[in-house]
Order: sequence, then structure tokens, then C-alpha cells
Amino acid sequence: MRPFLAENRRVTARPARHDGHVPRTVLIVDDHAGFRRQARRVLEAEGYEVVGEAGTGAAGIDAASRLAPDVVLLDVHLPDASGFDIVSRMRTSSVVLISTHDRQDYAELTSNSGARGFLAKDQLTGTSLEALVADE
Amino acid sequence: MSDLKAVLNAALDCVVMMDHDGLIVGMNPAAERTFAITEADARGREMAEVIIPPTMREAHRRGLRRLLDGGAPSLLDSRIEVTAQRADGSLVPVELTITQLDVDGPPLFVGYLRDIGDRLEAEERLRASRMELLRASDEARRRLERDLHDGAQQRLVGLALTLRLARSEVERDPVAALALLDEAQQDLASATEELRELARGLHPAVLTDGGLGPALRGLAARLPLEVAVSGIPSQRLAIDVESTAYFVVAEGLTNIARYAGTRQAQVAFDLGDGRLAIEVRDRGRGGADVHAGTGLRGLAARVAVHDGTLAIDSPAGEGTTIRVEVPCAS
Repeated sequence: MRPFLAENRRVTARPARHDGHVPRTVLIVDDHAGFRRQARRVLEAEGYEVVGEAGTGAAGIDAASRLAPDVVLLDVHLPDASGFDIVSRMRTSSVVLISTHDRQDYAELTSNSGARGFLAKDQLTGTSLEALVADE
Repeated sequence: MSDLKAVLNAALDCVVMMDHDGLIVGMNPAAERTFAITEADARGREMAEVIIPPTMREAHRRGLRRLLDGGAPSLLDSRIEVTAQRADGSLVPVELTITQLDVDGPPLFVGYLRDIGDRLEAEERLRASRMELLRASDEARRRLERDLHDGAQQRLVGLALTLRLARSEVERDPVAALALLDEAQQDLASATEELRELARGLHPAVLTDGGLGPALRGLAARLPLEVAVSGIPSQRLAIDVESTAYFVVAEGLTNIARYAGTRQAQVAFDLGDGRLAIEVRDRGRGGADVHAGTGLRGLAARVAVHDGTLAIDSPAGEGTTIRVEVPCAS
């Protein structure tokens, strides 16, 4: 069992992957429905379980509270909030900020935000996400 | 001597003469008009009390005493901008020069004052206009960034992700990979079209290449409107005038398509008398809030740069007319 799985999650019965690992659950918070759909497809193809999607910061905070995902993919530009400002309200230590801009643009803001890391949206793969959220 | 008196009387600038006690000994008609006081009323009164605002009177008196005690003159023979006061207490910005007359006996001083209120107002208008232009330019950049971010960038991100998925499916499920490639092609076509649209919004290449006629016909063809255009100048105009004319029409027609509730629009040009008039009109619902949109504010700033005029008439229920005139060599 991976240590960062929250004990009080509602999602309890998840299928084990062929390697015996329980797939990580992911919440995608992004205001572009097209990106959410693509990201879900990419992550599910690589064994993640996308347990929810949200299009605003408020909906994201609410969904994170209800679903207690292992990982939150959090867009930095949301209609009602800056992703950097709401990292700490996501009820998981594994928040990964995402943006169409690149890592260098947001290096300082990311390191100050408490997020695990930053991914440019076009670089999103299960492997790149795993590299950020895997236990050290 | 009478000639000199006539010169003083005809001068547009104010001339006020003061003796060594700081008392007014004379003023010309321009000073009477500017300070709303007659020479007869002013003569013999301390100048500080008549035309200097209360907060500055002591400094004036100290300066005069220092000068009479042999101190270095701090204001003589130079031009300074100060605030003076009219008889009714209202303030007037003036440019002031003080000279000491070369006369026998106690010294006499002459102040030459020019009301610079109009000039300062014009400078303020110019500053405000520059600021508005800067704001409009910044807003346009922000809008461009948003449009790029929400449009083409998202499409390209989607394209990158779809291609990566397709690659991973090629061997395992070629049919699924093919479907993903079709999707990628659509995303690419959409991104290309959005970038084309953005580039056109920045500055339509057809305007540079072909002038107002082709540019406006292309614009009208892309909008869901029937646009009647008349009076397009047959010759090419200065590129900055053509650009302004294009963006006036583009903004006007876009607003009609979005808000006017009508599909008919009229655009009319009139070139002559050294100016180009542009009118964009519809007979839709009217009631446009001209201060709400950044587009119209940006246009106003652009027109102001030309020293042109922009007027918007939009009574509720009677449609909207935007009329712009810009100076233009014809």
C-alpha cells in the first residue's frame, strides 16, 4: 500500500494493476473540458484512475475534499482562482500544477506554492506525472 | 510714451507693476481680465493680497524683503510657473517673469504673467490620451494572450497528447490509433484556423496588400451579417488611416453581430475636405453602453492619436451609429 493513500477516502475498492500496485487516483482541475478529456485518456491509458474532474477552483476544492484523490492536477489559470493560491486547500500532498506555459515561467511560483511540481500540459504522461509524485 | 501705453493695453499677457512696499502701482487690461479686478481697485493694495494665494503670500513678502536688503534675487529675470489668484478667490496657473525697472529712487518691479490654464489642460488631455493608449495597448496584449491560451495553445496541447496516445496504440490497436490521428488532424486544422483568425485580428495582411476595399469585403464575408458598404475611397490612403478605418468597421460590425439583434449593417465612407469620415450603422436594439467595452475604448484612444473624433449614438430601440472622422490627405 502506498503510504500517501488517505485512510478516509471514499474510493476503496480499486482494481490492482498487473504489477500488484493499486492505481493512483487523480482529480483533474482545469477549465478546458477538451484538456480534461485528453488528460483523462492519457492517464487512464497508463494505469491511473481519474476519479473526478472540475472546471473551477471552488469545484476543485470541493471535489478534492469529497474524493480525496492521491494526486490533483491543478491548472494555474482557473476562472475563479489562481492554482498557486489553492494548492494547500486540495487535501492531498500531491498537487501537480499544470499550464500551457512552460516550467521556467512558473519555477518560483511553483516552489513557493507547496505543490509537488509543475508539468507543461503538452508534457503530461503517466511517466512524467509519476516522476513528480512518486515517493522519495 | 503713449505708444508704449498702447502696447501694454493691447498685450495679451498680464503686466502688473509693484513698488518696493509690495503695493500695486498699475496693471494692464489683460491683468484686469485675468484677475477679475479693475486697475483702479487694485492700485495701492498689496500685490500679495490681490493676486497671490494665501499660502504663498509670506514667501512672497520674505523674498521681497530679502531683495530690498541686498540679497540675491531668486526669481528675477527667469520664467517660472506658479499659481495666482483671481479677485473671487479662484486659482489660475500662470507663467511668471519678474523684472526690476532701472529707475531713480526706490525700485519698481514688473510682473509679466501669462494664463497657462489652457496649455496645462491641453497637456493633461495629452497625458490622459497617452495613458489611455497605453492601457488599450496593454489590454489588447492581455486579450491576445488569453485568446492564444484558450484557443490555439489548448488545441496544440491536445494535439501533442493525442499524437502521443496514437503512437502508443499503433501496434496494439491500429484502428484506435487511426481514429486518434483523425482527431489530431482536426485539432491541427482548428489550431491553424484560430491562429489565422488571431493574426488577422492583429493586422489583416490583405489591408496592407490590397487596401480598405478587399480588407472590408473579406471582413464582411466572415461575419454573419449583410453589410452594405458605400463610398470606399478608390485610392490608397496612409496606412495608419486605413488601419484605423478598418478597426473602426471591424469593431462596429463585430458589436452588431454580437449585440444588435439584427443581421443588417451599413458602412459608409466619405473622403473629402482633408478628412475621412467612417460611419457604421445598424437598426437593431441600440442602448449600447459605450463605456463598457474595452474595444470601443481602444478605438477612442486610436482615433484620438489621429486628432480625430468618435461619436456613438445608440438610443434604445433605434439602433447604433458609430461615426469617426480622422484627418486625411485626400
